[in-house]
Amino acid sequence: MTHLQGSSSSLKRKRQDLAIVSESLTDAERVLYNLIHSKKDMGIWTGDMKRETNLPDSIVKKCLKLLQSKNLIKDVVNIQNKGRKHYMAAEFEPSKEITGGDWYNQGRLDTEFINLVKDVCLKYIFRQKVATRDGVLEWSRKSGVFRVEVTTQQIDEILRALVLDDDIVEVKSTGFGDFSSVPVGRICYICKSKGGIRGEQKSGAMASIPCGVCPRINSCTPDGIISPRTCVYYQKWLDF
Amino acid sequence: MATQYGIKFAIHLITNHFGNLVAKVCENLLRHGPLTLDQLIHYTELSKEQVKNSLLVLVQHNCAQAFVPEPEDDGSRLRIRTEYMALFDNIIHRLRFPKFLEIVSRKLDEECVELLDGLLRDGRLTLKQMVDRASQGKENAVATNAVREILCKLLAARFVERCPAPEPVVSTSFKETTTRKRGAKSAKIFEAPETLEQRVIFAAVPGDGIRFSLTPDTGSNVDGETNSDDAQMSVEENVEFGAEEEKILWRANFEEFIRHLRRKVLVENVRAQHDDGTATVLNAVLEATRTVERKVKMDNSVPLSLDTIVTEVMKTDTGRTMTIDRIRASLGQLGCSQRMIVDDSYSIDLKKIIERARNEEVESIVLKRYGRDAYRMFRLLSRDGDFHDTDQIAASTLVEKKEAPKLLHKLWNDNYLYMEKIPVTGARMQNTSITMWKVNKPLLWEYVLDEMYHAALNLNLRMAFEQEKDEELLNVPKDKLKEPGPLQKKYKRLLNVWLLLGSSLMKLDDALMLFHDF
Ligand code: SF4
Repeated sequence: MTHLQGSSSSLKRKRQDLAIVSESLTDAERVLYNLIHSKKDMGIWTGDMKRETNLPDSIVKKCLKLLQSKNLIKDVVNIQNKGRKHYMAAEFEPSKEITGGDWYNQGRLDTEFINLVKDVCLKYIFRQKVATRDGVLEWSRKSGVFRVEVTTQQIDEILRALVLDDDIVEVKSTGFGDFSSVPVGRICYICKSKGGIRGEQKSGAMASIPCGVCPRINSCTPDGIISPRTCVYYQKWLDF
Repeated sequence: MATQYGIKFAIHLITNHFGNLVAKVCENLLRHGPLTLDQLIHYTELSKEQVKNSLLVLVQHNCAQAFVPEPEDDGSRLRIRTEYMALFDNIIHRLRFPKFLEIVSRKLDEECVELLDGLLRDGRLTLKQMVDRASQGKENAVATNAVREILCKLLAARFVERCPAPEPVVSTSFKETTTRKRGAKSAKIFEAPETLEQRVIFAAVPGDGIRFSLTPDTGSNVDGETNSDDAQMSVEENVEFGAEEEKILWRANFEEFIRHLRRKVLVENVRAQHDDGTATVLNAVLEATRTVERKVKMDNSVPLSLDTIVTEVMKTDTGRTMTIDRIRASLGQLGCSQRMIVDDSYSIDLKKIIERARNEEVESIVLKRYGRDAYRMFRLLSRDGDFHDTDQIAASTLVEKKEAPKLLHKLWNDNYLYMEKIPVTGARMQNTSITMWKVNKPLLWEYVLDEMYHAALNLNLRMAFEQEKDEELLNVPKDKLKEPGPLQKKYKRLLNVWLLLGSSLMKLDDALMLFHDF
């Protein structure tokens, strides 16, 4: 998915008729286009094009420009190798291997978008007190928060990430209290934080003292250069 | 086994409480394992007298135990040599004395607290010594009977016990694996001791019958169980026992306190994870089986029937309103599913609750040290304990593919992860390998525990340092500190520092127990 909000022009484009396309192209262009087209949603690196077509560098460059200006091909970022320029026939959407998956945009993990989805899902679960996966999915479709269809898999991935963030907990319904709306035994999610805000974990014993999170603990000794007596972290911590 | 920093921390505590000589002896025992007097003299390079006195202090405070290794069968060893062994756990328990006193003050009364305080300060006391202690600074001596009564209360709650045998004979060859039965009743749940330390402790502990009984060798303990053959005990015998009573040494029963603290942690963790009702159920089950538990680290609760559990829950203030269905649902949340229940008895997986609490502690360190992305990845690996490859981890945790390996390496570098490279011999991918990661919990926990001891040591050292730095303040008259000014400001800071360091140490100690004693 390039982006949920942005609608991709290529998707809407009708499949081009290859024959018509071919007529308006030079031989070199056609050779290149056919090659690119044959790679479907994987696309192809310019280096490989040169190797496979034996066309000189300058011709390849020129042809690519022309093909692109005719909206027949597009350049795509390949997550495996961002430095290498990849091209793909315009009618295809880059495969997951190329994009890195649903949450990648232009070869980069779209953290901003992920966080947005996480936030709204968490808020929903918080309001509901208890929510099932299907509940979240249905709500996300009905509410219109996302302009584009959200898949079950995407919701699963977001829920899993929220569980790993320890923002929500996966539990089995007991059928009591808050769970009364969910059949007994069904997997559901409850919000862990009090306010439905992400990242509210309480610190453990070690995490609340300097040594517990100290990057230099392995070189810290009672009488060494780094020691509790000379420690800068303690200095800061005890600065009342 | 004590970890490296565990030993350092233990020695630090002993130095603080008993001075350098005792600490030196203790250090050698901790580092070398059990030693004879001669060996100790050799290692410490102290005089015989010094070593002997140090050992006496350690034994008096239950930080060391003497034992006699069982002679080999061939009879070649004619001379029996007493060996001494440091009791690491008991040394660290010294840090928790305030917690122990707090338990008694909650469960019993102030008189009991006072008596226990004496035992904790002096290590071991006879009844007479307790009376003397109680009488100190008072016009009239306290009646022996009054003290005996208090002692009885503490014994009934098992907060106090008879001191162990001074020099039990212990087989040090580990070939013998048959469990020694101590009464047919206990045989079923009893497991063979594993380490030499456990063996020695076990051999030295008097049987339950007399361990918590006030009068010597009657076989009747405070629980009211009486052996039938004691019935005809004559009056003269009783008088004799009176003289014997003088000799019995008593001490605090650390095991019971640790059990208490563990139970509290179990219940509070369940409360945080589920709800008050489930916590009530767990608490009722643990209370009901309190005296049947054989060891502190019980993996599962003693099996109880649903009827018994319901009765126990209804007995409590918070459980009175719970219905049977509600109780059954709580048991379900505690992991007792209908399928697992054999002959209608429920047993709760306590180990799982402890493990969960440990995971949380470790995870919170990871979050603070390495950030949220690492936290998610670590939790993924920690939850199923299996190997995952880098790409899979990145995809499952929604972490940038380029970032994931960097973070994983950092975690691995600091011992939080275990890594393995698996060579791939596919046709197209030559000389490549896939990096697999996993969390090895037993190893990780030991590592974290060692860091905790290190942190505890550092906290203690910093406390001493702060005190040293502002030593003049302690000599300043109190009224001066009440006047506003730089002196008062300094004093207030010191108080704050103490408060923060002290409470942090107690909190850290909870974590130490979680990883070591529970
Ligand atoms: S005393 Fe300071 S330097 Fe040493 S481990 Fe603690 S925080 Fe780190």
